[in-house]
Amino acid sequence: MSVFRTLKTRMRKEALVVAVAAFAALFPALPAGGQESMAPGWALPVQEYRLKNGLRVILSEDDSLPLVTVAVAYRAGTVREKPGQEGLAYLLETLMFQGSENVGPLQHVGYIQKIGGELNATTTFDKSLFYQTLPSNQLALALWLESDRMRSVRITGASIEQQRSRLLEEHLRQMAAEPIIGSFSIFDTLLYPDLLYGRPLIGSGEQMGRLTDADVSAFHRAFYVPNNAVLCIVGSIQAAKAKDLVARYFESIPPGPDVPAPLPPRFEQEGEVAVFHPDLAAPTAGFHLGYRIHPLQPGDAYALKILEYILLKGKTARLRARLIDKDRTAYHVSGGLEERGAARALKIFCLTNNVVMADRSHRAVMSEIERIRQGSVSEDDLEKAKRFFRTDYFRRLATRQERAFMLLEASFSDRPLSSLPNELDSYLRVTARNLTALVIRHFVPRNKVYMRLGPR
Amino acid sequence: MRGALRFPRWAVVLAAAWALGFGPSLEAQERYRRTPPPAETRQGLGLAALESFEMANGLKVTVAFRTGSPLVTLQLIIGAGEADSPAELPGAASITARMIGRGSKLLSGGQIDDLIESLGADYSATVFMDYTVFKLEVLPEFVDRALLALRLMVLEPVFSERVLATVKRATAFEQTDRKKDPEFVGWRHLLRLLFEGHPYRAGTYGEEAIKLIGSKEVQSFYSRHYLPNNAVIVVSGNVDAAAVSTKIGEHFSAWTRRAFSRAQVPPPPPNGRERICFVENAGSQDAIIFAGNVIMDPAAPEYFPFLVLNQALGGATHSRLFMNLRESKGYAYYAFSEAEFYRSCGVFWVKARVTPEFIHPAVGEIVRELKALSLESAPAVEIEEAKAYLVGNLPLKLESLEGFSEWTARLAALGLDSGHWNRILENIMVVNIEKVLAAGRKYLSPAPLVVIVGRREWILDSLADFRVVEVYDSNGALKQTILNRR
Repeated sequence: MSVFRTLKTRMRKEALVVAVAAFAALFPALPAGGQESMAPGWALPVQEYRLKNGLRVILSEDDSLPLVTVAVAYRAGTVREKPGQEGLAYLLETLMFQGSENVGPLQHVGYIQKIGGELNATTTFDKSLFYQTLPSNQLALALWLESDRMRSVRITGASIEQQRSRLLEEHLRQMAAEPIIGSFSIFDTLLYPDLLYGRPLIGSGEQMGRLTDADVSAFHRAFYVPNNAVLCIVGSIQAAKAKDLVARYFESIPPGPDVPAPLPPRFEQEGEVAVFHPDLAAPTAGFHLGYRIHPLQPGDAYALKILEYILLKGKTARLRARLIDKDRTAYHVSGGLEERGAARALKIFCLTNNVVMADRSHRAVMSEIERIRQGSVSEDDLEKAKRFFRTDYFRRLATRQERAFMLLEASFSDRPLSSLPNELDSYLRVTARNLTALVIRHFVPRNKVYMRLGPR
Repeated sequence: MRGALRFPRWAVVLAAAWALGFGPSLEAQERYRRTPPPAETRQGLGLAALESFEMANGLKVTVAFRTGSPLVTLQLIIGAGEADSPAELPGAASITARMIGRGSKLLSGGQIDDLIESLGADYSATVFMDYTVFKLEVLPEFVDRALLALRLMVLEPVFSERVLATVKRATAFEQTDRKKDPEFVGWRHLLRLLFEGHPYRAGTYGEEAIKLIGSKEVQSFYSRHYLPNNAVIVVSGNVDAAAVSTKIGEHFSAWTRRAFSRAQVPPPPPNGRERICFVENAGSQDAIIFAGNVIMDPAAPEYFPFLVLNQALGGATHSRLFMNLRESKGYAYYAFSEAEFYRSCGVFWVKARVTPEFIHPAVGEIVRELKALSLESAPAVEIEEAKAYLVGNLPLKLESLEGFSEWTARLAALGLDSGHWNRILENIMVVNIEKVLAAGRKYLSPAPLVVIVGRREWILDSLADFRVVEVYDSNGALKQTILNRR
């Protein structure tokens, strides 16, 4: 090593020592995680009950702004589709806006927007969710609208055809604009080889094109019934009054036939799955990488969340710091934890400039996971991840809509709602040892799926 | 009567009861389901008054109390935005803001990132036309440390050439990437033409402009504008105003004031002639149409009537533009109108995504809708619906932490009076037909500037019905002016 280089290195080290000393003086150690918990004054009051027709109702009062969110979730997600029915759940979601006995096509949207409200709907693997946030003095309007489509949505051959064409057209347009999107649904079918849980919302569109009016009607009759739904109201309400309104609009809706729970996910993978898709349009090169976490053991869900933050959340998260800032082998890395019923998956998506860099990035990800397996997570790393998680948690729950989503998620996964206000504490109790145990247990070849993108 | 069916009296009574909705069967619906239920009395917004004071060095502090989340938002606002970049250095404001947090006298950029994330805080820097916002969202127990981080980042930055090169590369990449979005291309071109010769044009710079910016220019911009007497700190959250103000004093009282004045820039004149501009964009699937003009600043008396007018015109899917261009004529996938307000003026625009063969009739309908609102009174029911939307939607805008902080930052940065905060609902409610018509006459009468983004091959057929079309390349340079025979 040249003298000059040695001198430079020493100077850098000295500068670093000075900077670290200054840093330590300015920022003495932050309190340990055990002392941090839910902020004072933060509460999530919840009441829940069932109507005679089986509709589950969740109420949560918050009068800080004159707003209310009304959300109705049906256990009618893609997991309910039979083989050959890809796209049926999504099609039903859009048909719910095409009018009911007392509300014309798209009038639901008009009623809500005219008073300044906002609304939307979404379909996931386990549910179709319809939600609106509006001035709280209009609570009855939202209940009237939701109850009308629950009891009497109008589905005709013409409306099915119209919505199907629109969805397929938009889907094809989106795929043409962003071809990489297609790789995400292909990766899901690998990650969840159990067809029920890996089914895409539309897929190629071929199966949606073949759906018959009878398929649509049968799906609607079976799943869009009060005994298969949860109604959640969050906002500036008086519980007694809200209960009266719920009873008025929903109680007389007849229940449907009993709805069996969907089959639990089954995975029978022997070893690591590694796939190469040269025909997938990626801007350059990259990969999808995922680990399936199933079955979960007690505490795994909390540890996984904290692991997600350590690896992927924030500018200083390990994978970003390693791949983008240190090794400079990738220009994009993202991902997160996904929940599909009893199964969870940690998914990572990475884009690089070429194939060599993609392979290097893949190896770097694996070495970061290995480091956690070896117990490299320090108390500081852990506390940082937990604080970051806590900030995100509070930011998300600042809106009534997000609180409604959280309550519905808990309801769908059969977690007791009364435990939610204390749930944050469970995340904050995760230890470094929990993370190591989690990685040893689940981050093994038989749970790994790797799909490389770009040129061979 | 012979042959007529006769029913016993009890059956008639039962049938009447049935018709009135008392029937036990669910085959016939309950009567109350037939029509939407009436609204109850509207609740007030219940916003706490903003508390403001000025420190000895001229730094203003505003505390906005809000509940609903324990997080505290700290915003340091500098009274300099894109428009304050020197005319020969557009983008200087943005590059300077991006350099903040990338190194200070004591800490490297990486250490600053570590510091912020060790607090669990979220940091962002956003540059608007007239001001720049440095924002930290933080857990309540770390407010003091977050203020310290903000102080180190903003008051003691270091602008190294090496870091600057990285920041410029990232900015240029983002600018290039944004050009893939035809909506962004159209919006930027509209502003470029409306602000021709005006300082606000600096806010529409492209990736080429930032090549000229060096660390000397960044330092110069920083020294000129980053002063306590040109800044405001806005704290929002469930905080004690006195306590947080004391902490701000501890961290920022040593920031030295210097003589500084910021001239009020006069607004540019509105476009007044028919002008069709076409921007080529090879990747376009559909045409994006913008039609807009310069309007009033947010302190003007026509501000609230114009908001109502805009809502009726194109604020939502039940507004005139959407109902006409999409639902009635089938020309557009969507058609809305929006307005944005700066320190010296505002801008409004109609935005529509249109099938290429309908470009000409769609522009015709947009212009017709604008003219209609400048010549004729809108029906009272339409005005009341627009007001109901604005009043009902306001709490939604303020509900998220982001929405609340954006709103309070805008008030503080533009020095808007309390009419935009604690009297806002009243200011909307007093708008009437006459005020809306007056705003329409004044601001919708001048011909709008029309910008169309699409593929070059559409010029020959889809644009042939326009008399004159200015054609620009994707970077916004004028290529040719086409005169069509009509």
